[in-house]
Amino acid sequence: MNLSLQTRLLFAASLVLTAFLGLTGVTLDRAFRESAEAGLRDRLQAHVYALLAAAELTDEGQLQLPSALPEARFTTPGSGLYAQVYDARGEMVWNSGSTLGLAPELPQNVPAGQRSYANVRIADNDAIALGFGTAWENGTGKLLPFTFSVAEDLGALAAEVAAFRRTLWSWLGGAAVLLLLAQGSILRWSLRPLRRVGRELHAIERGQRERLGADYPQELDPLTSGINRFIAQEQARLERYRNALGDLAHSLKTPLALLRGQLDDNRRSAPDSGGAADQVDRMAEIIEYQLQRAATAGRRPLAAPVALAPIVSKVVASLDKVHHSKGVDCTVEIAPGLRYRAEEGDLYELIGNLLDNAYKWCESRVIVHAWQPGTATGGIGELRLRVEDDGPGLPDDLSVELPIRGQRADSATPGHGIGLAMVADLVAAYGGSLDADRGDLGGARIELKLPD
Amino acid sequence: MRLLLVEDEAGLRDQLASRLQEAGYSVSSAADGEEGLYLASEYPFDAAIIDLGLPRLPGIEVIKRIRADGTPFPILILTARGRWQDKVEGLEAGADDYLVKPFQYEELEARVHALLRRAAGWASSTLAFGPLVLDTRGKRVTVDGNAVDLTAYEYNVLEYLALHAGKAISKSELTEHIYDQDFDRDSNVIEVFVGRLRRKLDPEGSLAPIETVRGQGYRFALTASPG
Repeated sequence: MNLSLQTRLLFAASLVLTAFLGLTGVTLDRAFRESAEAGLRDRLQAHVYALLAAAELTDEGQLQLPSALPEARFTTPGSGLYAQVYDARGEMVWNSGSTLGLAPELPQNVPAGQRSYANVRIADNDAIALGFGTAWENGTGKLLPFTFSVAEDLGALAAEVAAFRRTLWSWLGGAAVLLLLAQGSILRWSLRPLRRVGRELHAIERGQRERLGADYPQELDPLTSGINRFIAQEQARLERYRNALGDLAHSLKTPLALLRGQLDDNRRSAPDSGGAADQVDRMAEIIEYQLQRAATAGRRPLAAPVALAPIVSKVVASLDKVHHSKGVDCTVEIAPGLRYRAEEGDLYELIGNLLDNAYKWCESRVIVHAWQPGTATGGIGELRLRVEDDGPGLPDDLSVELPIRGQRADSATPGHGIGLAMVADLVAAYGGSLDADRGDLGGARIELKLPD
Repeated sequence: MRLLLVEDEAGLRDQLASRLQEAGYSVSSAADGEEGLYLASEYPFDAAIIDLGLPRLPGIEVIKRIRADGTPFPILILTARGRWQDKVEGLEAGADDYLVKPFQYEELEARVHALLRRAAGWASSTLAFGPLVLDTRGKRVTVDGNAVDLTAYEYNVLEYLALHAGKAISKSELTEHIYDQDFDRDSNVIEVFVGRLRRKLDPEGSLAPIETVRGQGYRFALTASPG
């Protein structure tokens, strides 16, 4: 599962919050219900006591209760509050006015001093009943047992519980919504630095920033400053590495130049010693080629895209200077904003080698065209680079043999081969492809496809 | 033609200097960037050959400072580093051409030659002034198609004057550009060369290629033929 951190946190926290609030609700509901029932039982007990206080035993052993009781609901028929008194034989000796026509079955024969609760149905309603055993002493000192039973309809209780539930759950629901909203915004706020890292890394990749900003929370600070150091060191490391390679080239090739000169001197006295000079040239070419390969940076993480047009115009200006007398007409068709994610030195190498070949071999015309087929989709996109000239074109077998490793493609076209081999290697380092054929100008046409 | 050669590797420097001198150039050598910069400010060179990998002051910096001083002579870079970024940087700094080590000596001389010609405003290696034609690559001179036999010094004097055709060139300027710095600078030698040149090029006195400008020196009087 590839959920975002925010979704994960929000999901987990919502689950915990819902479970917690649900359990709280259920617990409160039960507690309220139980306490309401306990209250009802207490009330039944109180009714029993009130009846006991009102009851009188006659000398004949008859129990008498006044018609007007303190609780008016006893006298109103179907009021929901009922009372009956049973004697020891289970005969009903008194019933309240409210039981008129109902004749409920209430607890009987409860031993004196004991209570007995029962759930009964009266007039199709659930009710709870309390039977209380009593013993009355008549004039002769004989104890007469009576059971005072009181029942109350549960309808009122149920209504009370339902009202409480409505209130409880609407408050809990409201609280849950508020807490979830608060939690969501807390999460957004807390995760904002992480989103900022992502945004800024993206900006670095698009070349809009050079490094991550400062003032990150202290938990992220080691990460962001580490990335910043990495970005800085990466460039410095490449720089150092290339300088070392340059020094190596210098220390290898200066003696070769000296050797080459001495061989030339020898050749003037002994004309057949040309083979050694060719070997020196070959060594120099191999050194050049291998050093160039070693210096290729290739695709690097967090490298900003580089604008192509300035590099091309600098290389063209340089070649115009070098091939001044040739008067080459070079057309550059590159959008000013065209950028590609590659290392600058690599792009110089690519463009330099391609254009150098074109300038060397052309009659008078060179066309450089670069475009990005994928820019419509908004990305930096892949790069297409095409260089063509009006020269004699590439030898037919060259297009098949590319890339050539460490040797000239064809000794008949010195320069084309090694330069193209370097280009082919660079293109390979970026995972691209190279096509060589004959162009509309009649000469060589090289087209590079470099992926995003 | 007076050349500045800045190269830190002694063997290569001596080899190049002696071969360029053999070819008739006057060569001043420097072993590091600061010495090269000093020489460039002291002497009127026609061109410079500068190695990029120099001790004390990098070649790029030498070129930048030479150009900052407003010195216009053409500069050829020698570099062991074939990287395009370096080449472009060198050419942007003010160099005119580059050569990657190792190179064939003939290639170096051809490049220097082309730079000197280009600096003088000539597009081709053949300078034609009506019947008088200088082949600067082969260092040959013909008049009406007939080869004229010149010594190296005579040729150098003629080439310098021809490349600056129409301008008065003083004897001391000629001496400075033709001879090495340790040469005995006797302006009478120049007069002797000019006298011999006039006799060899124009025995009948009808062409009069070299004029004497009173108090100023000499001027190449022929105008270049088109094409």
